[in-house]
Amino acid sequence: MLWLMVFLVLPGLVLIVVSFASRGAYGQLEWEFTIENYQRLAGFSLFGWTADYIIIVFRSVWVAFVTTAVSVILSYPLCFFICTRAERSRYFWLTLVIIPFWTNMVIRTYAWFLILAPELPLAKLASYVGLIPADAPLYPNAFAVYLGMVSMFLPFVTLPLYSSVERLDWALVEAAQDLYASRVRVFMQAILPQTLPGLSVGVILTFVPAMGMFVVPDLLGGAKYMLVGNLIQQQFGASRDWPFGAAISMGLMILTMISLQLYRRRGKEIKFV
Amino acid sequence: MKKLVLLMVAVSIVCGGIVFAAEDELKIFIWSEYMDEENMPKDFEKATGIKVRLDLYESNEEMMAKLQAGGVNQYDIIVPSDYIMPSLIHLKLIQPLDHSKIPNLKNLGAKFRETSFDPGNKYAVGWQWGTVGLMYRRDRIQDADAKSWAILFDPKRDPGPFYLIDSVREMMGIALLYLGYDFNSTNPKELKAAADLLIQTKKRNTCLGFKGGVGGKNDVVAGAAAAAIVYNGDAIQAIAEDPKNLGFVVPKEGSEIWLDSMCIPAKAPNPDAAHQWINWILEPKVNASLSNYNHFATPNEAAKPYLDKEDLENPGVWPTAEIMETLVFTKDLGKDNRIMDEVWTRVKSH
Amino acid sequence: MRRSHPLITAMALLTMGFLYLPLGAVAVFSVNATRYGLTWRGFTLDWYVKLYHNEFILEAAWNTLVLAVVSTIVATILGTVLAIGMDRFPWGKKTDTFLDLVLHIPVVIPDIILAAALVVAFGLLRVISSLFEPGLFNMIIGHITFQISFVALVVRSRLVSIGRDVEEAARDLFASTPYLLRRVTLPLLLPGIVAGAMLAFTLSLDDFVISFFTAGPESVTLPLFIFAAVRRGVTPQIHALSTLVMLITVILIIGMERFTRK
Repeated sequence: MLWLMVFLVLPGLVLIVVSFASRGAYGQLEWEFTIENYQRLAGFSLFGWTADYIIIVFRSVWVAFVTTAVSVILSYPLCFFICTRAERSRYFWLTLVIIPFWTNMVIRTYAWFLILAPELPLAKLASYVGLIPADAPLYPNAFAVYLGMVSMFLPFVTLPLYSSVERLDWALVEAAQDLYASRVRVFMQAILPQTLPGLSVGVILTFVPAMGMFVVPDLLGGAKYMLVGNLIQQQFGASRDWPFGAAISMGLMILTMISLQLYRRRGKEIKFV
Repeated sequence: MKKLVLLMVAVSIVCGGIVFAAEDELKIFIWSEYMDEENMPKDFEKATGIKVRLDLYESNEEMMAKLQAGGVNQYDIIVPSDYIMPSLIHLKLIQPLDHSKIPNLKNLGAKFRETSFDPGNKYAVGWQWGTVGLMYRRDRIQDADAKSWAILFDPKRDPGPFYLIDSVREMMGIALLYLGYDFNSTNPKELKAAADLLIQTKKRNTCLGFKGGVGGKNDVVAGAAAAAIVYNGDAIQAIAEDPKNLGFVVPKEGSEIWLDSMCIPAKAPNPDAAHQWINWILEPKVNASLSNYNHFATPNEAAKPYLDKEDLENPGVWPTAEIMETLVFTKDLGKDNRIMDEVWTRVKSH
Repeated sequence: MRRSHPLITAMALLTMGFLYLPLGAVAVFSVNATRYGLTWRGFTLDWYVKLYHNEFILEAAWNTLVLAVVSTIVATILGTVLAIGMDRFPWGKKTDTFLDLVLHIPVVIPDIILAAALVVAFGLLRVISSLFEPGLFNMIIGHITFQISFVALVVRSRLVSIGRDVEEAARDLFASTPYLLRRVTLPLLLPGIVAGAMLAFTLSLDDFVISFFTAGPESVTLPLFIFAAVRRGVTPQIHALSTLVMLITVILIIGMERFTRK
């Protein structure tokens, strides 16, 4: 416990303090109290008010949301499918899902460079339709980022969801069907509530980290599609603006807290299997 | 129990540290692909018995960030560009050189012994100098078109997929030059105009974003890009292997001329080895082999007789007087450095 | 449910394909005999051979391993102690919720926040002692910090599931606390501890963000190496390296599965 206190809580507090510090002319840390960093975050930069950073924050939330939604939509069929397999081969299918999950995220992300490369069909198709210039790769852009994010987070939803789907009481589903409920209603009333625990875990495990992800946007989005994670990383890197980076991190933290609270309010408990 | 474990961990780390420090080692932090990374360290080891370890970066700012985050006592040699020297000196991140350990200092050209940022070579010894320009595929872009930055910045032109260079001063400077302003301007209006130009350019379909000079060069060679802003030596290196399809030019609006130097960080673990390295690099034959490999120009007069004739005659490596007129040294902006960084964050995040 | 709607099967298989497409591409191009670009020029294992001779990669691999092993050992011990402490000791209700909250933090927050906090904290601590230079030591601390939470959570759920009966029975038979821990609790807990340790190990091997922010020149790990290399231009050597890493991951997972199923 002591460890966690020292290396978790204290750095957290330090981060808060630093976010109010200012940055010297040469990029060093200066202990001068200022709320300028937060002002900058809210848009009041040296060049007049711009919505740049707020846009980035919203974009990150949006990307996280879409990623989670798409992952959920793709996960349900996958889980149902695995459930219909024979008992023994289920482990096989699950292992197949787990393998990308444990593969290093850098590898999984840069692998998309290959799929989206100019020589391969996807990019050729896009340039044929005129979306991108001829012989250009299909990245960096928003589409690539979404592809990368979904492929990254899909297992995060599938695995917890599966544990709920496995325990699904199909009798209820059949009952609903017997009562002539439409497909949609069967799903919403009979399947969804039962799978809610697994779904909740999956959603939280995806949405929150997705907001702060920086590897995928950095490699697949370049400077064309910036997310909060990249922004923070840039401040601790080439921009050498730790206080601003700290302020942004605090902002992200607050967003996380809000999401978790909203989630808690709906009455579900975070259970880890 | 906890204490025992912590003790074990601490002991193992200390042991590891001792093992590493025992070997005479030189840690160099340098731009990527700036020397023959396989053979040069081996040659140095043969000459002095000191093992070399390389760590690479893509931009001065990246290097500074690492130093400020604690790298100041982890590297023995760094290779910063001219404009960042005042920052380094001001922040006391580098130490003065001991000239008695560098007898070969006399080999440097006179101009490079009295630089504006470090007269008398107190802190730095010239490594290589060069320019920034446009590297392009000749099978996609005409030689005549490449002669102006407009090929990249003018929305009506279509250069094919291209990269801008991921380096704040160089990229902003080029944008400012294109708009007719001073390369080192700190006027907020001018900076905003340059930033807007870059943002608009970045948003175009054909722009693939920002990449370091070396990365951009590699992509042009691979055919994944038709053009990129790169350092001249990197480009010439690549062109040597494929002169029919690859070209390099310093566009007419002008560009940057830079001088990189070797410095020793303030708390370097092995300053002795660092001095030996500097002295060794200054030897004429060694220096010539360096330039012949990376195709940059050298500040070392004594090395000139040993350089490749091709390089000496190549305006890409040794610019003609005409081109020199259009080249500008990047200046340190003192307190205004901060504006540049903010502008850059804006360009990257918009 | 025995049958599956064909549409569902189709979607499921497509999704699986989607997951494996990038990884497959890497494996395929790792044996492609061309330096630049992606045109197929013949099969070759050259790139794998070159890997073996590349000192940087070997060192990165070693660092990754050392980091994972050391941090896993420490984290497992601390995490287990924490879990037992939290569950078995009569803390007050308020402290309990607080501890619970702190425990969940590393698991739920985006890791970049944790990394940023660590960078800043180490920056300050560096003034006190030079032990906190960016490097293996910092990375180990960073890894342990998030690993403890995972281990503690896993062990705790196991603790909850084995219940207190056995322990109470032992107590009734006059077992002392050390004896109780050694002979009763820990053996029962072992599968949970092992599961937690494996989880921590894999998390450390895989970690990128925390390592990225706390690494020093000598402590490059494989993920960091690949990231830096990819930014300069992807080469088949990297593909070879990645394929190897993937294979090792697969072997580890299958090993884990076999082990936990017994």
